[in-house]
Amino acid sequence: MRLAAGLALFAAVSPAIAGEAPRAVPNAPHFVEEATAAGVAHVYDGAWEHFVGGGAAAFDCNGDRKPDLALAGGKSPVRLLVNHSQAGGALRFDEGDMGLSDKDRIGALGIYPLDIDDDGHLDLVLLRVGRNLLLKGGPNCAFEKASRAWAFDGGRAWTTAFAATWEPDAAFPTLAFGNYVDRTAPGSPWGTCDDNLLLRPSSGGTPRYDQSTALTPGHCALSMLFTDWNRSGEPALRIANDRQYHLNGEEQLWRIPPKRAPRLYSRSDGWARLKIWGMAIAEADLDADGYPEYALTSMGDTKLQRLDEEAEEGRPVYRDIAFEKGATAHRPYTGGDRRPSTGWHAEFADFDNDGLLDLFIAKGNVEAMPDFSAYDPDNLLLGQPDGGFLEAGDTAGIALDRRGRGGAIADFNLDGMLDLAVVNRGDPVSLFRNLGNRAAHGRRPLGNWLAIELRQPSPNRNAVGARVSVRVGNRTLTRIVQVGGGHASGRAGWVHLGLGTAERAQIRVQWPDGEWSHAFRAFANNFVIIDRAEAEVRYWYPD
Amino acid sequence: MHGNNRALMLRELRRGGMMRPALICAMVVMTLASVTASGAQEPPWSEQAVQRHLDFDTVAAETAASGPAALIAEGERLFTAKFTRFDGVGRPMATQASIPTKRRRPAESAFVRTSGPDATACVSCHADPSPGGAGDFTVNAFVSEGFTSAEFDSLDPQFSNERGTTALFGAGLIELLAREMTAELQAQRNTALSAARATGEAVSAALSTKGVGFGALTAAPDGTVDVSGVEGVDPDLVIRPFGQKGVSVSLRQFTVSALNAHHGIQAEERFGARWTGEADFDEDGVAAEFTAGDVSALVAFQAVLAPLDRFAPSEESWRAAADAGATLFEQWGCVDCHRPALPLTSLRFADPGPFDTAGTLRAADVGAAITLDLGELDWVAKLPRNAVGDVLVPLFGDLKRHVIAGAAVSTFGNELLAQNFVERNMFMTAELWGVAATAPYGHRGDMTVLDEAIRAHGGEGRASRERYVEATDASRAKLVAFLRTMGAAP
Repeated sequence: MRLAAGLALFAAVSPAIAGEAPRAVPNAPHFVEEATAAGVAHVYDGAWEHFVGGGAAAFDCNGDRKPDLALAGGKSPVRLLVNHSQAGGALRFDEGDMGLSDKDRIGALGIYPLDIDDDGHLDLVLLRVGRNLLLKGGPNCAFEKASRAWAFDGGRAWTTAFAATWEPDAAFPTLAFGNYVDRTAPGSPWGTCDDNLLLRPSSGGTPRYDQSTALTPGHCALSMLFTDWNRSGEPALRIANDRQYHLNGEEQLWRIPPKRAPRLYSRSDGWARLKIWGMAIAEADLDADGYPEYALTSMGDTKLQRLDEEAEEGRPVYRDIAFEKGATAHRPYTGGDRRPSTGWHAEFADFDNDGLLDLFIAKGNVEAMPDFSAYDPDNLLLGQPDGGFLEAGDTAGIALDRRGRGGAIADFNLDGMLDLAVVNRGDPVSLFRNLGNRAAHGRRPLGNWLAIELRQPSPNRNAVGARVSVRVGNRTLTRIVQVGGGHASGRAGWVHLGLGTAERAQIRVQWPDGEWSHAFRAFANNFVIIDRAEAEVRYWYPD
Repeated sequence: MHGNNRALMLRELRRGGMMRPALICAMVVMTLASVTASGAQEPPWSEQAVQRHLDFDTVAAETAASGPAALIAEGERLFTAKFTRFDGVGRPMATQASIPTKRRRPAESAFVRTSGPDATACVSCHADPSPGGAGDFTVNAFVSEGFTSAEFDSLDPQFSNERGTTALFGAGLIELLAREMTAELQAQRNTALSAARATGEAVSAALSTKGVGFGALTAAPDGTVDVSGVEGVDPDLVIRPFGQKGVSVSLRQFTVSALNAHHGIQAEERFGARWTGEADFDEDGVAAEFTAGDVSALVAFQAVLAPLDRFAPSEESWRAAADAGATLFEQWGCVDCHRPALPLTSLRFADPGPFDTAGTLRAADVGAAITLDLGELDWVAKLPRNAVGDVLVPLFGDLKRHVIAGAAVSTFGNELLAQNFVERNMFMTAELWGVAATAPYGHRGDMTVLDEAIRAHGGEGRASRERYVEATDASRAKLVAFLRTMGAAP
């Protein structure tokens, strides 16, 4: 209904914006939205507390290596969806049981998967308005509350962000929670951002999170990410903050030295003041120089930050390259609404398997903010050989009239092409299946690809923090395994790379402890498991 | 197209090998409605070899309607043509690599004997004894990845692998065999995986197709496969039958790579805008140098090339020696790798084929494939068949890679560079059909007599080699007499 109205609006105003029509992107992937057919009906909604949030988590909870989904619901219940898609076929999900009471299922903003207790089953961190929850995962997508067992006090804050990392010699992960407005503080919401929290596991054979360190001042976090911005081997904690509510706040970067107190990067370190409506952080090493670039969504311009070459080495001085790369995504690219966009989840991925990273941005008005666009379609910025990006959201078929929030990018039907789930505020979740390129005869396949699963001995069996470096010809493609970032949305599982026309690849892994592996060889268009203890990749085939 | 013309073409085709030039021209003119004019008409003295490019979809439709003769004729024309700068010869800003790779600096000269481009025509190397054949040492190629140190002017083996020019005769049947073998190996893997998933237990499966063993794999119930026991084929179980080390999966893939490496002609299906973002990736001023239809013409020509038959010598002494030699060939175990024949079930050659990957046109990239029915070829119809009707392809090979050099006999281990994940001492069994007509021998084309090539067999060939070496002069001569019947009479 809203789509039809949106299209009518587009048709009515299109002559006026004809001059601004985006360039046709001939090889854009073609997505078809099939949530209903897949058995997925889910809405993220609620009052003011749920204007933000709306996360999705993609991860495998039953060992079949098909990414399952968990979706935050806000005032609607959080939902676990077990993936029963046919390999190479239509998407199909069936609802699972998260082991939560009705009360606990309400109020969720975001979800992140990670193996906290190192038992080989992914656990879930549920971010809520109120008590956050840690859910212990077991076989066959069984979950149970583990906050008490792991001495975790979920608190009462409005939690909107999360990130995790394994610090050196730690058996269990360090958890960081980002909190938003302290609704109980006088003068709330303006200038009353809550503190963020860093929880390091206490020593012992099981996870215990009874100690926490306040990361103060908080500036209303909406995204956090542990990131090794300077190749030091020691990830820092980057926080995207919402200037809507922080007074004199800014973006933040915390040093997290192992076993010592966190310390903010300050002006004297070179950290410049940046005030944005920071909704998500996405990291990628776009130019394979070892230093990550960051996409920061906001209202209006998306930032694309690159370490400034002219700055002194070792100083976190960033330059915004979004404009020169065509990645500002500052207003809707279709539909005729000329007001600025509101960007939410952001994530780099190679959707067309051409070996170049693309950037997905979920978009949607906060609620009914009159100064910002109403029909604000999600972006699919396709990476181009010249290093820039071209908008293809409309060509690709993802430009729905829905208010996007969180997202999950994963190959749900294991056909080598990345699919997309978008959680929408007040609208059904969108579940897009990637069908390849449109062709006169129907569709044609995309470029070659590789999906990699990393495994190493305990602790940190899923190698969170590892860097994957794939050599294809003279080019190096990199990926990093992280827990955090995005907008309230996390993922675990296959690391996907597009290889373009390459038939073979050499893969090197920098494990979380910094050691580089030898070069593993793999043939394209395969799922491969790289186990630190083995000399060769192991090929895996979907059922 | 007119029924009489079709019959005429088929009759010509069935003669095998070359077709009469006048008839070729007539057919090309009559039937190539698939040709797209490239702008203004070139004058009759034009040096542009490819004046009209073929559209794949049109060619596919035409071939389905009227048969492949016109396509094959055009393929022969392209194979024997001297490409020029006007056709896009030269790749000033691209390397010889099989994936589009820019050079750091423009090439100083258009032709470089070592790292290429090194030829203006396919037939400049592939000509002995006829177009599609082999080449002498003079036309050796210097094979290198083309990534780092892409341009080199030294013959030093640290920069490239020097390779002789192989004959393409029978290549269509080779590719068909490879496709069937790949399908069978992958089916064996999938069966093991299904069984493992169903039973919850690991399942081992021997890999064997057409009587050739490829080791074994073990499928685990979680869907992973242990390929450490796989032999002679890549871990993805795709038989790649072309190239001395067996690294190219199809005539099409090889053709696209060779056009770029040797001529600097960049086929659109790999070097075009779809994968590179540029219409003129090598920046030589010519865009759209070679269409998918053009590649199909070259593929069709190569696919129907008849292998060189064994012949029956007229001299009684030779016949007797050759018969005895054939027996020795078997007794000494040569047939373990140089198998006299492999059975082929289907003679329908689909272009594109089933195992190409992005960068070469794939079956799913087109609405309808081009199908060449090799069964309509006269020379194929004469091949023997087994009890179930399979054609027995007399290749004297096994499409399997073997370690062919060891510490004691290391002649074939001369190369310093691995290629496409295949180690230095491993090569695919060279097919011996036509060997007598395609001297010199060895992957470097530097062995003038068969005896040298046989004595170079180390590694897995060592045992058979020892039996040859320890035999009497007379026995060795009989083996040579046998091998010397593989190809047209001298």
